[in-house]
Amino acid sequence: MNGAAVLAASIPLQSSSRRLSRERAIRRFRWAILGPFIALLVSVLLPVLFLQLYFSFHQWTVYLGSWWDAEYVGLDLFREVLSDPRFGWAIVRSLAFATGSTIGCFLVGFALAYLMHKPFPGQALYYTIFILPMLTVPVVVAYTAEMLLYQSGPINDLITRMTGIEFKPMWLTNPDIALPTVMLLEIWNWAPFSFIIMLAGLSALPKEPIEAASILGASNWRVFWEVQLPLLRPVILLALVLRFLEAMAEFPKTWALLQGGPGTATETVPVYIFLTTWQYFEISKGAAMSYIVMLLMIVVVLLAIRLLRREKRSLDAMHASSAAGEEPAP
Amino acid sequence: MRRSQRRRVSAGVRYLVLSLWAIIALFPIFWMIATSFKPDTQWFAWPPVYFPHPPTLANYLNVWFGAEEYAATQYAISSQKPLVSLLNSSVIAGVSTLLSVLFGSVLAYGVSRYHMLSETRMFQLLILRMIPPIVIAAPLSLYYAALGLLDSRIGLILIYFLTTLPYAVWMTKSFIDEVPRELEQAAEILGATRWRTLFEIVLPLIRSGLVATFLFILILTWSEYLLALIITKTNVTTLPIELSKYQGTTEGRVYGRQAALAVGITIPLMIVGLIIRKHLARGFSFGMVRR
Repeated sequence: MNGAAVLAASIPLQSSSRRLSRERAIRRFRWAILGPFIALLVSVLLPVLFLQLYFSFHQWTVYLGSWWDAEYVGLDLFREVLSDPRFGWAIVRSLAFATGSTIGCFLVGFALAYLMHKPFPGQALYYTIFILPMLTVPVVVAYTAEMLLYQSGPINDLITRMTGIEFKPMWLTNPDIALPTVMLLEIWNWAPFSFIIMLAGLSALPKEPIEAASILGASNWRVFWEVQLPLLRPVILLALVLRFLEAMAEFPKTWALLQGGPGTATETVPVYIFLTTWQYFEISKGAAMSYIVMLLMIVVVLLAIRLLRREKRSLDAMHASSAAGEEPAP
Repeated sequence: MRRSQRRRVSAGVRYLVLSLWAIIALFPIFWMIATSFKPDTQWFAWPPVYFPHPPTLANYLNVWFGAEEYAATQYAISSQKPLVSLLNSSVIAGVSTLLSVLFGSVLAYGVSRYHMLSETRMFQLLILRMIPPIVIAAPLSLYYAALGLLDSRIGLILIYFLTTLPYAVWMTKSFIDEVPRELEQAAEILGATRWRTLFEIVLPLIRSGLVATFLFILILTWSEYLLALIITKTNVTTLPIELSKYQGTTEGRVYGRQAALAVGITIPLMIVGLIIRKHLARGFSFGMVRR
């Protein structure tokens, strides 16, 4: 302790030189951490982005010899991609898939979380059961779905037995319902995500406004719509945005289960890029497509980030106030 | 209706709805486990067989240990090596996750205490995770081919490390932010370097948070599919890729074998997930939702 006191006493005497050396030390510390990180990012991402740009402007496939001699074709590849109706449909399908599954996940997750946010006997057991689908590897979900959904499989059998009506949709081979089937799988797989986020949000809500409203005689319904829901907005937006972005990138289930088929019924953007590059070996077309999708997604992600940033502020404020409310208790 | 009656009815409705979803959530998992114990005549039977009768270990012995005597010739799968894939998956997921948490927590400390990355940069870091990986997959595989990293463990470890880093930084930062600064100030006054403060005071204090982050990221790296599919060919297949090899064999459907493999892939993940169930919300929301 003596040493500390001496140190503290000596600070005012040589404050400027000490402050300088402290600043220098912090700067060194900063670069020791940031340096390797930036070096790694630059050495991996930069060549990758460069290659992608190169292939978008040079016609090359695996049969054409060395890629660095590929022919420069200007904007031809982009023209080809943008006039390809299959690409347009892939984008439409991806958007439909992401929107539908995001809303589905949210509705299921929110309903479950709302029913569970107050303690009741069995709560922990239900929580454990509800998060299990999220802990199932996506490819496993795909193959298990195949075991469950073939036409005379257990799902159709169970529904037929319970309703007494012959129920035999071809979940995976009917092009009209193949995409909704994958959407249902996505909802089964990821509703737990919305559930845990909404449950955390509901449990962190401040109690006072809700109690005040019900003391004033508001019905449960009004408390929900006019007090709880507005307070939950940041958590809801977070759950929706993150789920939507993940769903836009969904690949393992769609690919492992249907490879884009039947026909092109489940050909989402990731599947179409994969097919173009690794089945048709049109590396350059795939690169041009990737480039367009990347730019579109960067715009979407930047918008999402803007939104998340705004909502994170209110979340932090909420956590701070609930932490302050809890502190005097113990 | 009296108030107590109404409450009993609403509790009943709650249990009904929750149990209904519990059945929906559990049934596919039940089916996978049940199928893994079924003899081959029941994989595809009509009407469907719900409980294996009699249960058999043949699928497990054949798939995991290559026990030939259980391989009815029609379903024989000879070339695959799940145990090798298990080793690959463990090494790749383990090492990349460890790197991610180690590096992420150091970076998070810098951000939390020395504002090394502005809030804008922190959010831009999320781009690494939020852009669909398919858009860089092709150039990445060509770049890897040039570096000789294709079909190698190091290649996958490197890219998993980079794509999970945003989760690691954000999640560990949310733990570090909760540590009071007095201890670090005391350490600084006593002359400890920043590295010592970080490794001997801050990180030990958030030990349980680091474990949670590690296990959370392990879930992501263990189940990753697309990049593994593109970067690995034959040498270092991971378990999800191994599983997809059982698809489209000319012999037809091999549900029982697939299920035995799937159970082996899923059970470790479920154990890990249940250990950190309280931290999952924090993980998936990049630490924005805390509990």
